[in-house]
Amino acid sequence: MNPIEFQGLTKRYKRLVAVDSLTASIQKGRITGFLGPNGSGKSTSLRCLLGLASPTAGTALVNGMRYAELDHPLSTIGAVLDNGGFNPALTGLQNLKVICTAASIPDARAEEFLQLVDLESAMHRRTKGYSLGMKQRLSLAAALLGDPGILILDEPTNGLDPIGIAWLRNFLRGLADSGTTILISSHQLAEMQHAIDDVLVIDKGTLIADGTLAEVTGGQSLEEAFFRLVGGAK
Amino acid sequence: MNLISSEFRKLAYQRSTYGLILAAVALSVVSTAFSPFAIVQLSGEINFPLSDPNNVDGIYSKALSAYILVVVIGVRFMSGEFSHHTAVSTFLTTPKRHRVLAAKLAVAAVAGAAVNLFATLVGMGTGWFALQLYPNVAAPHAHIFWDFALSAALTGAVLCVVGVGVGALIRNQNLATTASLIWLFLVDRILAVIWVDGGKYLPSGLVTSLMNLTLSVSDKTTSLTINTSDYLPPLPAALILVGYAVVFSGLAWVSTLRRDIE
Ligand SMILES: Nc1ncnc2c1ncn2[C@@H]1O[C@H](COP(=O)(O)OP(=O)(O)OP(=O)(O)O)[C@@H](O)[C@H]1O
Ligand SMILES: [Mg+2]
Repeated sequence: MNPIEFQGLTKRYKRLVAVDSLTASIQKGRITGFLGPNGSGKSTSLRCLLGLASPTAGTALVNGMRYAELDHPLSTIGAVLDNGGFNPALTGLQNLKVICTAASIPDARAEEFLQLVDLESAMHRRTKGYSLGMKQRLSLAAALLGDPGILILDEPTNGLDPIGIAWLRNFLRGLADSGTTILISSHQLAEMQHAIDDVLVIDKGTLIADGTLAEVTGGQSLEEAFFRLVGGAK
Repeated sequence: MNLISSEFRKLAYQRSTYGLILAAVALSVVSTAFSPFAIVQLSGEINFPLSDPNNVDGIYSKALSAYILVVVIGVRFMSGEFSHHTAVSTFLTTPKRHRVLAAKLAVAAVAGAAVNLFATLVGMGTGWFALQLYPNVAAPHAHIFWDFALSAALTGAVLCVVGVGVGALIRNQNLATTASLIWLFLVDRILAVIWVDGGKYLPSGLVTSLMNLTLSVSDKTTSLTINTSDYLPPLPAALILVGYAVVFSGLAWVSTLRRDIE
């Protein structure tokens, strides 16, 4: 059983087909890049996987179960989403403590992960004043709280500084080496080329490439392969 | 239990909660402190002698005004999840959404009851001091202390739950807050006076019924009359209020359990 399975996942918004019968599986302990142009359905697929949106047809499974059936979701799968919000009136630490309490995770974990993502000096400040990169780091800390075996990252490098990006790359590699499965969506193809093992490419809701990085790029750079696949001008 | 504490933390960490508690107490204090003054000023137009214990009960009843702001606590508690997109992490943490909602409603009920009770007690205390300033003031009936305290707790619990329902339906926090304030401060209170037949089933009319007052006031210039015997007896009023809590919880339930979270 693969950690993540999309089985004929379809999501329609009125007449718009955001995701069209997506079938794919993500391998354990590998970093899979989830690529595609704006509006191709990446975030929508991930939101269906995480039980935030209900699929029109098909399913998306985590360790063979629907997200809502997981007993300890945060310890199974952590997610950094593009719209995952924090209460601006609460401090970074308070925002995480709210999550800790609901998930029966000790509060001490919150401080631990805030240190890990380099937010310890800002953790007592209200998140209203956080920069984009700081919010992104806070999201990452939230996703890691339960020590999940699977990580979903939707454009995690958004707003991160070069040091943060390099740190994230090494950090994710370390996690994958110790068996964590990672699915990461990003438009930073040059960065992704160095970070991922496998690739899924989706365009207009449909899967158009699926394989290892070498299979999908066929000797080209990831960017060249991307343009070839989605038919963009270069 | 974890979910209850988590929801409680959301309220307790939020500074605006304390602002609203203060505002609720202030509303109760101001309403109670100024009503003897207003009545004495208006003694030409209305006949409301403070030597009548029923009328003194009426002054103390103003202490129950705080429920209007207790609703806002519930509204912001729920609509904030959508306005700030914290619903995403809430439901990622607990995908069984009905459990989150049950915890939120329970916390809202307890917090609403506590805040309204506190504001009412402070308001009644203020009323006692205010009434010392006037001559020939009768003592209130002894039963009002318990009647008002119970009414305050029940009203606070119900209206905070109603607020959660409103916040689930109107997900824009500011719009939801403004809409509930306009409704409760103006529409509801006006209807309870000018259209008693319907208004007695609305929150302000039900709160009046709950308090079990015996009042009859008429304004000579506008010929508007308030007569508490037009309102419902306390028990049916309490049941209807609880009915509001059930209906609005139900609305929160159906609007939150299935829909996509942005
Ligand atoms: N709640 C919604 N209501 C209506 N349409 C939606 C909704 N969410 C997404 N869509 C549409 O679904 C399609 C896929 O959007 P999605 O956000 O999944 O794309 P994406 O691949 O994540 O894009 P990006 O790279 O810009 O993040 C788009 O056409 C989008 O407009
Ligand atoms: Mg996206």
